[in-house]
Amino acid sequence: MITLTPLRTFNVPIQTPCITPENFAGKTLTDIKKLPATEGNRNITLGDLFKIEQDPAETPNITLNGDLSKVKRVGQAMKSGEIVINGNIGMHTGEKMAGGKIIINGNAGGWTGSEMKKGTIEIHGDVGDYLASPYRGNDLGMKGGLITVDGNVGTDVGCYLKGGIIKITGSAGQFLGYHMTDGAIYVEKNCDVRTGACMTGGKIVVGGTLEILPSFTIDSIKPKVKVDNTTNVSGPFYVFLGDLSERGTGKIFANKAANPALAFYEKYL
Amino acid sequence: MTEILIKNGFVVDPRNKINCEKMDIAIKDNKIVQKVNEKQAHIIDASGLTVMAGGVDIHSHIAGAEVNTGRIIRPEDHYKDPVRKTSITRAGTGYSIPSTFVTGYRYAEMGYTSVFNGSIAPMKAKHAHEELNDIPLLDKGTYILTGDWWFVLENLAKNDIDECARLVSWLIYSTKGYSIKVVNPGGLESWGFGRNVHSIDDPVPNFCVTPREIMRGLIKVNKKLNMPHTIHLHTNNLGVPGNYQTTLDTMKALEDLSTDGKPVAHITHVQFACFKGENWRKFKSGAEDIAKYMNAHTHITLDMGQVTFSDTTTMTADGPFEFSLYELGGHLKWVNSDVETESSGGIIPFHYKRNSPVNALQWSIGLELALLIKDPWKIFMTTDHPNGGPFYDYPKVLAWLYSKKAREATLKKCHKSARKKSLLPSIDRELTLYEIAIMTRAGTAQALGLPNKGHLGVGADADVAVFNINPETLDIAQKFRTARKAFASAVYTIKDGIIVAKDGQIVNSQVPGRTIWVDAQTKDPCRIDDDMKRKFKEYWTIEYENYPVTDHYVKVSDKLTIKASV
Amino acid sequence: MNKTINNVVCPICGCLCDDLEVTVENNEIIKMKNGCAVCEAKMVHGYKSDERILKPLIRKDGKLVPVSMDEAIKKAAQILTDAKYPLLFGWSSTVSEAQRIGVELAEELGSALDNCCSVCHGPSVMATQEIGIPAATLGQIRHRADLIVYWACNPWASHPRHVERYTAFTDGRFEGSEWKNYMQRLRADSGRKKMEMASKRIARVEPPIKPQVCFTGPPPQMLERKSGRKVIVVDVRKTMTAEAADYFLQIEPNRDYEVIEALRCLVLDQELDVDKVGGIPIDTLRDVADAMMSCGFGVIYFGLGMTQSLGRFRNIEIAIALARDLNRKTKFVISPMRGHFNVTGANNVFAWQTGYPFAIDFSQGYPQFNPGENTAVDLLRRGDNDATLIISADPGAHFPSVIMQNMMKHPLITINPDMNAISRLGDVVFPAQWCGIEYSGTAYRMDTVPLTLKKVVEAPPGILTDEELLTRILKEVRAIKVKRGEPVGQGEVKLAHPDKVKAPQACKAPAKPKRAKKGKGAA
Repeated sequence: MITLTPLRTFNVPIQTPCITPENFAGKTLTDIKKLPATEGNRNITLGDLFKIEQDPAETPNITLNGDLSKVKRVGQAMKSGEIVINGNIGMHTGEKMAGGKIIINGNAGGWTGSEMKKGTIEIHGDVGDYLASPYRGNDLGMKGGLITVDGNVGTDVGCYLKGGIIKITGSAGQFLGYHMTDGAIYVEKNCDVRTGACMTGGKIVVGGTLEILPSFTIDSIKPKVKVDNTTNVSGPFYVFLGDLSERGTGKIFANKAANPALAFYEKYL
Repeated sequence: MTEILIKNGFVVDPRNKINCEKMDIAIKDNKIVQKVNEKQAHIIDASGLTVMAGGVDIHSHIAGAEVNTGRIIRPEDHYKDPVRKTSITRAGTGYSIPSTFVTGYRYAEMGYTSVFNGSIAPMKAKHAHEELNDIPLLDKGTYILTGDWWFVLENLAKNDIDECARLVSWLIYSTKGYSIKVVNPGGLESWGFGRNVHSIDDPVPNFCVTPREIMRGLIKVNKKLNMPHTIHLHTNNLGVPGNYQTTLDTMKALEDLSTDGKPVAHITHVQFACFKGENWRKFKSGAEDIAKYMNAHTHITLDMGQVTFSDTTTMTADGPFEFSLYELGGHLKWVNSDVETESSGGIIPFHYKRNSPVNALQWSIGLELALLIKDPWKIFMTTDHPNGGPFYDYPKVLAWLYSKKAREATLKKCHKSARKKSLLPSIDRELTLYEIAIMTRAGTAQALGLPNKGHLGVGADADVAVFNINPETLDIAQKFRTARKAFASAVYTIKDGIIVAKDGQIVNSQVPGRTIWVDAQTKDPCRIDDDMKRKFKEYWTIEYENYPVTDHYVKVSDKLTIKASV
Repeated sequence: MNKTINNVVCPICGCLCDDLEVTVENNEIIKMKNGCAVCEAKMVHGYKSDERILKPLIRKDGKLVPVSMDEAIKKAAQILTDAKYPLLFGWSSTVSEAQRIGVELAEELGSALDNCCSVCHGPSVMATQEIGIPAATLGQIRHRADLIVYWACNPWASHPRHVERYTAFTDGRFEGSEWKNYMQRLRADSGRKKMEMASKRIARVEPPIKPQVCFTGPPPQMLERKSGRKVIVVDVRKTMTAEAADYFLQIEPNRDYEVIEALRCLVLDQELDVDKVGGIPIDTLRDVADAMMSCGFGVIYFGLGMTQSLGRFRNIEIAIALARDLNRKTKFVISPMRGHFNVTGANNVFAWQTGYPFAIDFSQGYPQFNPGENTAVDLLRRGDNDATLIISADPGAHFPSVIMQNMMKHPLITINPDMNAISRLGDVVFPAQWCGIEYSGTAYRMDTVPLTLKKVVEAPPGILTDEELLTRILKEVRAIKVKRGEPVGQGEVKLAHPDKVKAPQACKAPAKPKRAKKGKGAA
């Protein structure tokens, strides 16, 4: 196991796409210290930024400690292994991830798990915007894997989601599951407006309050819903179909008890 | 004062009928000369290498409002191809629409030294010139969209060719353009109200004129102005199944205009205009018919518009075509950009896939055309960058042309439609280096009317490309990958007598390249009287005085002054 | 002695009206014809401000003191090269010739580069990146549009000549001006008001208070029957533009997205379960949708009310989707009402040099783009920068206080013609010329039509143009880097025998995906 601890407080953004289990594998401590990183516009090495120690434990492969909220692109495109982050971490963590596991004991920045294909990200804290959403101009949403968040998430979670599961214990911002085509998002608490806008498939399950866009139509009331093989949520739930403006057949499950404002939809059933 | 001597290379220079002869090329300043003082000159040992003139690209969208909108809407495209700053070159991005500096560098790395910009709307010409100034290492020219300019439509409706010629001469002069570009004649004006023309005899709404009259009229205008290039034509019904008939009709309609056997029109990216079949399901190749016609006639030149199977961006002034392409579905983005009184435009990111029956057949149509048309002086190699694929796929296209083995290798990976519905598998022709030099430099330079480009004769511009191909030892048809690599990174690219790239790396980015433009002087210049100014005020939302491109916008100007016969 | 200069381009808003007649006497503009009130305020009065900066200033012991230009440039270059992550922000009110140098400077410094569009129409650009845009130049609207929708903008105040020059009140080839109809309606309105006042005086009775309605003008069905151009205004309050419109739709704030979604469903003939969206009954929306579908050429112009309210670029995205859907029924285009006169130019110049229109980060040696991560507001909110250069913009007056506090923690360089809020806060304060008045250059209209701004008067002596000043700063930055032994850009490269110099190998870009291999320039 390699442990990285910041040598000082970082004032400008740090980019460290080199911190992945594959990159560290088979390298000595001195080699790892020489891996390139940038601090602002200066090209430096990992050793200039972090105190790097090695201990014989097998898992996790990499542990990061301390305030890393300015450190970006940790675990980018990682394929296997495990990274544990004890503290807040910056943007693009686990971007394009294709396997392995990242555990964040703190808050994570935007674009965490962006364009991810496989693997697991556990966040025991809040997340910024664009969790599991693609880069600008792309429709390469998350394809598979699992993301769990203990806290709240920002806006635009799971845009263009094509597969995989996102579970959020807290609340979510607006445009949850924007343009999603498949996969599932489960929000235990409330959602901001425009949930599931432009979705054409997949499902969104919301335990708390939410607002339904006018372009959704009510389908039925279901007593419970299955998010994935391990999670069954009991309702009852209003089931909405949409987004009609995209001729979509995505489903939003809205908890009946938490949403008395949606009761008027019952007359269409 | 620089002198360079390229020694012992195998020179391929079709204009001067030199085919792989071992000889020296001497350069003094920016011209090719008879000989130089060997002691003073910088010697390049080119033994075992092929020496050609710098490449001349006849049709490539590298600058202008359309191209730049394409850049703006595709961050995901640039994201996968960042280009670092070095102490010689500027930073930038690719991929399908590279930033201006990267465009210049990558062309130079392939041995290209002159590129002609596909089309620009006259009203936005300043923008195109600002971008061209930022494209280093290349000589540039740009075609001006003229076909749906209201003054042209009105004068052609009146059949007043002389007045039309004067106006076009003013237009080309004041936009610093190189040639007349006609895109989907009549269709762009119709697109103003969301319509299109569907044959060359469909009348243009609100203007009593047909596409046939526009094309014929502008060819007459082009002749009266003695322009160096023919009109540059993008046919009607582009990208529509069954359009090979329109293309044939177009070519037949222009037959009688060529009196001396010389070409009168250049039909660009012809691959997109050779579709047979009533719909996309029955889609077939129409290349055979076009090639047959081309082999029997001399009044047209073509360029391929080859598809290269990549994630690229289609962009054209043909707005209705882009919309119909978008309507086929599966596209994330669609840009339409109408320009008042002149033109329209559209952009769609497009991924050509090998396993798509249509795309695979499109790929074979382009190659069929290039191989079935016997005379390489009639059809030139382009990908209509970035419509068929980015220009740095040229080496790939060349490999398909000079090696049947390369074609077979790709055919294997393609959808079966490419094999079944086209003649390509039965074609054995493999182009020689000599023919390739015609299709990429000599022929294009001749079609463009550039006497100093595309060849290595004395007095030619010192634009030279040296490739790591030894015609004596390397069978390019067999070892197509080696040759492809050689075409992708020139051993030397010399621009204006300065070595700008070596082994596919830019070594000097300080050569700005010239902007070539035409000043066709009519006997009595176009009268811009008060009546005309009033019309201008009615037609455009900018004033007549603010319309022309001033000298300020051309960094290194290369004016071609010609006397018009009107 | 005075002279009149014709066809001057107005350097104020995105309309770039180019028919101004400016009269100059003793190197001073004394009169201006054809311009709007905003234009007159700047061209005739504003540029002669008493607050004009005439000499470069440097903050010493907390006070700004005048210094020589050389000293100020040296100081600025030193600040920028010392910083690990400087930010260059502004650019929308300067000419594209200066913006070009700006990109080169940012590249040389490895800094962040952003223009004002990130706080105005950046969301429009981002929406375009997601979905594209069917757009047209303004003349196309003048000649053809018979339905003009102003959504969340108030051109009457922000782009005063937009309606008159380009849309409803202009005569095109296929559509006429609505000016006469508007005047008639205005007269009828004022007549009605007079009658009401008179009856009030005579009868001494208060007219019944009209209930608050969400729409005004004739009933929506009338829209279809009206001949000629139709103007619909959608806004959260009744603006001057709304007064001039045929039809005004007052929606609840932050409900643009929902209303447009509903319109899209109606255009697609979908039934909706709700009766009201954003405070508007569905039946009303259906009439609006019908009007949009039955027009010959429609256009939506949208403003900051849409880009900077809840939903941001998604609002625009959905509006573009609406325009796109309408193209299947008729011809429809959509355009942003760009604010500053050359913010479109900044987007364009940045894009052709780097591939990205704004929010660019050069810290990795190549351009990266990500609004939400790299815009000036994002960076400053997180306090990522350690030096700032502001050119031709006044974030001091417009940015949130937390951002200004973060900006003030580090050195600040400003380039502005007059002592505005940001210049007062600067550590190095450069004077600048008024572009479009004191020097010429290129600007891009809101529909990307380039126009040449004219020089009409001479600038005060000793003040450099933005282009010259930036070039000198760039030169100084390169000199400092050479002294430090760092590699610098092409400006300094002199090759006697280029053949003998080996091309430098750039470091490998991180995480470069497979396809990038095809691009050889990255080395």
